[in-house]
Amino acid sequence: MTVSPISTQTDGDRFWNALGKTFILSFLVCLAIVVIYPLLWMALSGFKTNAQIFNEPFAFPRSWGFDNYVAAWNQGVRSFLFSSLVVTSASAVCTVLISAWTAYGLSRSRMPGKPLITAMILGGMMLSPTVALIPLVRMMQSLGLYNTHWALILLYTAFRIPFTTFLIRAYMLDLPADLDEAARMDGASEGQIFWRIILPLCAPIIVSSVILHVLFAWNEYLFAMIFTSAQDVQTLPVGLTSLMAKHGTNYAQVFAAMTISAMPIVLLFFAMQKYFIRGLTEGIGK
Amino acid sequence: MVPTDPHFPGAATSGGTSHEICRPALLRRALIRALSLRWVVLAVLVVGAFIYVPIIDNFRVSMTNRDIFTGEISQVGLENYQRLLDDPVVWRALLNNTLYAGLSIVFQVFGAFLLAAMIEGLKSRRIRNLCRAIYFVPSAISTTVTGLLFYFLYQPEVGLLDAGLTSIGLGALSRPWLALEDTAIFGIIAMSQWQGFGYSTLLFSIAIQKIPRELYDAAIMDGAGPVRRLFAITLPMSREMTGLMVIVTITGAFQVFNEIMVMTAGGPNNSSQVLGTWLYQQAFIQNEFGYGAAIAAVIFAVTMLTGALQVWYTSKRRVKL
Amino acid sequence: MKKISKITTTALTITSALSFAAPEVLAAGSNPVTADPAAEVDYSGTLSILTKFGSQQLSPFFEDVAKQYTEMHPEVSVELIQETDDSVKGKTKTLVATNSMPDIFFSWTGTWGGNFIRGNRAVDLTPVVGAGTEWGKTFTPAALDAFSYGGRNFGVPLYLDAKFMGYNKSLFADLGLEPPTTFDALLETCDTISAAGVVPVSFGNKEAWPAVHYAGQLLVYNVPVETLEQDFDPQTSAFDHPGYVTALDQFRAFIEHCTTGAPNGTSYEAAVQAFSDEKAAMYYQEIIEFDGSANSDTALQPEEFGYFVLPAPEDAQGDPNAIEGAPEGYMVSAASDQIPLAIDFLKFLTTQETGKVLSASPYGQPSAVVGGSEPRTMNASVVAGMADIDEASYLMPWLDTVHHPRVAATWLSGLQALVGGSMSSEELVAEVRETSAAVRD
Repeated sequence: MTVSPISTQTDGDRFWNALGKTFILSFLVCLAIVVIYPLLWMALSGFKTNAQIFNEPFAFPRSWGFDNYVAAWNQGVRSFLFSSLVVTSASAVCTVLISAWTAYGLSRSRMPGKPLITAMILGGMMLSPTVALIPLVRMMQSLGLYNTHWALILLYTAFRIPFTTFLIRAYMLDLPADLDEAARMDGASEGQIFWRIILPLCAPIIVSSVILHVLFAWNEYLFAMIFTSAQDVQTLPVGLTSLMAKHGTNYAQVFAAMTISAMPIVLLFFAMQKYFIRGLTEGIGK
Repeated sequence: MVPTDPHFPGAATSGGTSHEICRPALLRRALIRALSLRWVVLAVLVVGAFIYVPIIDNFRVSMTNRDIFTGEISQVGLENYQRLLDDPVVWRALLNNTLYAGLSIVFQVFGAFLLAAMIEGLKSRRIRNLCRAIYFVPSAISTTVTGLLFYFLYQPEVGLLDAGLTSIGLGALSRPWLALEDTAIFGIIAMSQWQGFGYSTLLFSIAIQKIPRELYDAAIMDGAGPVRRLFAITLPMSREMTGLMVIVTITGAFQVFNEIMVMTAGGPNNSSQVLGTWLYQQAFIQNEFGYGAAIAAVIFAVTMLTGALQVWYTSKRRVKL
Repeated sequence: MKKISKITTTALTITSALSFAAPEVLAAGSNPVTADPAAEVDYSGTLSILTKFGSQQLSPFFEDVAKQYTEMHPEVSVELIQETDDSVKGKTKTLVATNSMPDIFFSWTGTWGGNFIRGNRAVDLTPVVGAGTEWGKTFTPAALDAFSYGGRNFGVPLYLDAKFMGYNKSLFADLGLEPPTTFDALLETCDTISAAGVVPVSFGNKEAWPAVHYAGQLLVYNVPVETLEQDFDPQTSAFDHPGYVTALDQFRAFIEHCTTGAPNGTSYEAAVQAFSDEKAAMYYQEIIEFDGSANSDTALQPEEFGYFVLPAPEDAQGDPNAIEGAPEGYMVSAASDQIPLAIDFLKFLTTQETGKVLSASPYGQPSAVVGGSEPRTMNASVVAGMADIDEASYLMPWLDTVHHPRVAATWLSGLQALVGGSMSSEELVAEVRETSAAVRD
């Protein structure tokens, strides 16, 4: 007699569990649709004509010609993409190199005033770029860097060094100290220890840092908008808005341009997901 | 035996045993220490020149007014700060930033936490990974792209959203979201949630994965149901991540700029203005650089406060662990 | 320890030098730069030009002119910064603030152009383009005069602009409608069109200036010109004429009768598109937009396109024969190191031949050069519109370029609120009055 209530309870449990699971699964699927559908719609609209976008927004394109993509490419996307590539890669190299360098100093050498320097560099993370904006405009102007790729490379590097140093330093702190010691016994110089031993060991976090930096620099808008004015210097996020202003009535081309600009970073994410996630966890979790 | 400093074998060997060589050794040691500054000098210079100096300079600028056309600069003391207090748009912007923060905490912290708990409750590892990856995709895309995309979705003419609402019988809800003073900011915040929830879900997933399985096993033995386990184990065990996410979300909400510029540029009638866009409007459209710098000072105050909160929170957690 | 402080000091010195050494008073000197008619032109180097022809339709104009010019002078290269109507203001201010003004730059007339004169950023062109000079005589006098400040010429007008109501002739004919001649008749026309299920006037006000254009025309109908001009200047402004509220009430009635949807969420581009797609019967536009809104590529064919002056209300207290509009033109940067070359380029830009290209399709920008238009190659509406501009008793400047920037900002956001229904006409006028008083010295 005592067995039966328990077994009914488990049946009930099972029922509720199954129901809950189904509910959760369908919820997750719906959410995935909400996330993916607009993006898919954007890419597909790039294949449509303007009239089709307005009149049959939900339909599939009638043809799969790349006309709009080609037109968008020639309308300026090519030069925006080039600028984005230049600025992103140059600032990524500068940021990660300087940060790794700094992280090494902060984690593995004994320099005077280390707590102060650490606080100064890592404290930069808390400072909002918006606050520095107005003085930076004049500074860039007086340095003659306004409306050049250099302005963006410099600023992206400066504003990302704190975070990137923070990531790499945390990783370096976890590396055992006897590594350097052993190398020193063998007569290696500090420089050799950094380049030959520590840096290779930090490869995973370096990759994560590079990816996070690329994600940042590729999408950055505030600085890019303020510090560039000529079309051949503008990066994708700013270029897209000016494309929108100039060809705003040709929706299909704007969608094509948006798709072209989003594609590289989405592909990078799927290819390097592991490193992305590592960077994110290290960045927030430590 | 002389204690060897693992970091400075040079100092140890030259230290020897006698006191006479102690002075040069000390000197040498100091020199080596100072030399190791070379590792950080570049970062200190770059960060100092491009972050600290302009931020300090901002306060000086905020106490001046400059006519960009003539280049004349007048010292006005705290006048620009006085103007801040009297400017209704500043208050509207502060309210909008706060709304942004509040709603983002609801969706991107608590919503994402629940979502992460749901995902991590799934059996199949592949589905878990797939979910996390798909939800993350919008976070990887530039806000210009997502902002423009939603600008189109909200438009009555293209009307993907309105058409969608009508098709599920909610046609009465359909409206030109970004065109109305009452709804524009919410339209933008909604886009932001769509874009950002996957990022925080991913972080919560990672936090949940770190919770020891034994806790759940023990709870199941005690007959705790899934909801009970969520509140008794998952929530308290990811409390740290939650706290951190709340702070990070607030900081982010006070720096929003891109999505507003792309979707409404602060309109209609300044109803979707936030501090960042009002700063831009004042400094770069109205040429009121001094006043813009005063608005920047408000952003500085808020982000410093949340930043300090974050430092305090993480250090407190360190002590506990 | 000494070493550290030394290094920190050095670092601090370097960093502070980077910022505080920024020149405080910039290119603007105390004396205006005046053009020298005898200066020899050095045909070499790069000439940078900020234009307002960034749109797809207009951008080839400057590209072609630049190409012709550089073919004549192979040592010269031209760098174009082409902005749109919407973006040129912000871009200009950024360029001014950063002292990177191009050699030649676009300017409106009125307070906007006055800024460059006040800051000594524009070259005084009186000796080369003044009313009595050879080059100056080639322009429509009123257009040239609009760029003179204190009797000195600072700008070269390129084309004339004014606002008209474009309409779809076939749609009007189908409904048995004629272009209205009074404001009330316009509202009735709208009602008839609405009843037929067509959008009467497509109106996109996301950018806020389209509403300002309606307001400007209605204001000049309802407020005497002298009062308006007095109110343009914060020092003398009063904004107490009852015509202000009347004009804004008329605008509200117009919104109610003639527009649909939510104008504040629609971009002006989308509004043009609706008119060009024949989805709306009318679109209030500048004469320089005529060729863009109806051409061989649009559903609305050029022969279906007609226009009329926004009709004045009966018994209005202002000037019923005034049209809102102004010439637009170019100035030479005082900081330019090749002023003679810049002037030479502007001369090339304002020949009769270039004027004819500019006036004709697909550009349709009525040239400010006398004889710079060839009616045969032009859209008939542009030709007729030019005649209307010639006959207008007063050209009402755009509110957002004539007022102090803060007053202009109040007009812009306040009219958005008026369109959205969250502000009354009285409240808006009061707000404008207060802002104008607040910027008074």
